[in-house]
Amino acid sequence: MQNKAVKWFAVLLSIVVLLALASVLTQGDRIQGLAPIVVTAIGLIGVFIVYLITAESEAWEVGTREVVYMAIGAALYGVLNWIFNTIPMPSVSQVALRPSICIPIFFGFVFGPVVGFFTGAVGNILGDFLTGWGVYPAWDIGNGLIGMVPGLVLLFESKRRSLNFLTVVVAALTALTAAIIFISPEVPGPWTGEIEDFSFWAWAFLIGGVVVIVGRFVLEAGSVDLAAVNIWGTLGIIVGIGFASIADIWINGYSFATAIIGEFAPAAGPNILNSMILTPILLAAYNAVQERTGR
Amino acid sequence: MLIAWRYRERDTIIQKLDPRARILFMLAMLFSIIQFWDLRVMLVFLGIAVFQYALAKLTWRETRRAWILISFIIFFMTFLTFLTGRGGVNYAYEEEHLIRRLGPVTVPLVGWELALNITAEKTVFAFSQMVRMYAISIMAITLPYTIDPSLYGVTFRGLGLPDKFAYAMDLAFRFVPTLGRDFTITMNSQRARGYEVEKVSGGLIAQIRRLAPLLVPVTINAIVGAEDIIDAMDLRAFAVGPRTWVHKLHYQPRDRALIALGVLVFVASTILAFMGVGNLWVPDALMHLASG
Repeated sequence: MQNKAVKWFAVLLSIVVLLALASVLTQGDRIQGLAPIVVTAIGLIGVFIVYLITAESEAWEVGTREVVYMAIGAALYGVLNWIFNTIPMPSVSQVALRPSICIPIFFGFVFGPVVGFFTGAVGNILGDFLTGWGVYPAWDIGNGLIGMVPGLVLLFESKRRSLNFLTVVVAALTALTAAIIFISPEVPGPWTGEIEDFSFWAWAFLIGGVVVIVGRFVLEAGSVDLAAVNIWGTLGIIVGIGFASIADIWINGYSFATAIIGEFAPAAGPNILNSMILTPILLAAYNAVQERTGR
Repeated sequence: MLIAWRYRERDTIIQKLDPRARILFMLAMLFSIIQFWDLRVMLVFLGIAVFQYALAKLTWRETRRAWILISFIIFFMTFLTFLTGRGGVNYAYEEEHLIRRLGPVTVPLVGWELALNITAEKTVFAFSQMVRMYAISIMAITLPYTIDPSLYGVTFRGLGLPDKFAYAMDLAFRFVPTLGRDFTITMNSQRARGYEVEKVSGGLIAQIRRLAPLLVPVTINAIVGAEDIIDAMDLRAFAVGPRTWVHKLHYQPRDRALIALGVLVFVASTILAFMGVGNLWVPDALMHLASG
């Protein structure tokens, strides 16, 4: 398995190097159409690097148990997606009720990243097959990432350690983003194309980062499981929907603002809310059953 | 609740093709389309997509719901890109020729001034984007209606997916009717106990929480039931050796021809894009309008 991974890693790396070389030789103006391939390859290489570093972890093992949970997770996600898209449900304001999002997050968090990825990706294909909407690879991968990211919690020794790691990452990313904006605050605005001052967003990032870190400790005061599932689940939704939205910039030619306003925000916001309420309930029920049955 | 697949046996040319060949062809088309912004090239791809859709003999009645939703998304996203326009400006075109400027309008309270520049490039870009999205959607929407769900496992196995994953995919398709039935039983049981999913009172959080009595029993029952399936599979020595499949797929000459066509289109598209062919094309009439 690991040899195979190394082989594919080498193939992907060669593609990226060749494309980078082509870009240099042509001043980068003739291979714009290949940008999605480069981005996808870089993303896959990132996943491979994480895998290679942690290849010994049990989180990546796929046995009979994982195969069955993958199938059940995918079928559940597909069926619930279809049901909640077909049955008219009440909704408040613009926030759609999409309870099925807790399925890939729960399966990833409990059964590992492979089960989570499969549940999200194949479940989304199944749901789209049942509703007849077609197959959209970027969104299938995006849904897979929603399940895979929470599964990464199993790579850590304990859930508290995983939270410590995330806190450091959030703090570093927030500081880095804010620093980049503060160093160069004047850039072309997404709406007008004219040079605008974006210093406000640096402060917004800083405040957002502080809120996330404080939120972690507030949730942790309740229970480590509650904090871990909510924070890893939210990260999964941001990464998954973010990937699909950004991919659509190349696939459909959206502007960055369209991808964020039209896709990322309306999809990620309600999903995070639905997940934060329902996934802990599901996790509590599962823990109770596990204690009772001892399996 | 009866869950019905969209697939129907139709005796069409499309359904006689190997699903692996069709998936490879769709991916080749997808990666080819996204290399162009020229409306004329895009119309060629739209033509191929429509031809494939016509061969599938799908009726308006069965696809109506999906088309209404997809069209709404396409029009909304195209309009949003037309308003913002930066995606196009960034890499499809650099120079813009103004046809008309609307605004500026001052937003009350915040005092922002919003103006919309309608340019020749932005207008053509919006049309090209719409054609591109329709071409991709027409290709994508045909699959659920024309590929037999029972062939998915063996199809993806044939495309190189490991046995375990292909089997899990096959198993997932088989679980769908059972889980649909379980959901109905759970909903009816909860309703008999006075549960009202349609109740609209309460805030957003209360409404989301109200879905837990439906979601939790269905999920937990499925997980508990999974233990029996795991035991049964282990007792039959699952994954000890390579799997065999009930359905077998064999490439016919027509499938190889379809794959070759897909590869040819992709390679030709990549070479053309590399040579700078297929960038945004603005009709002369629009340029005249802009200069006039």
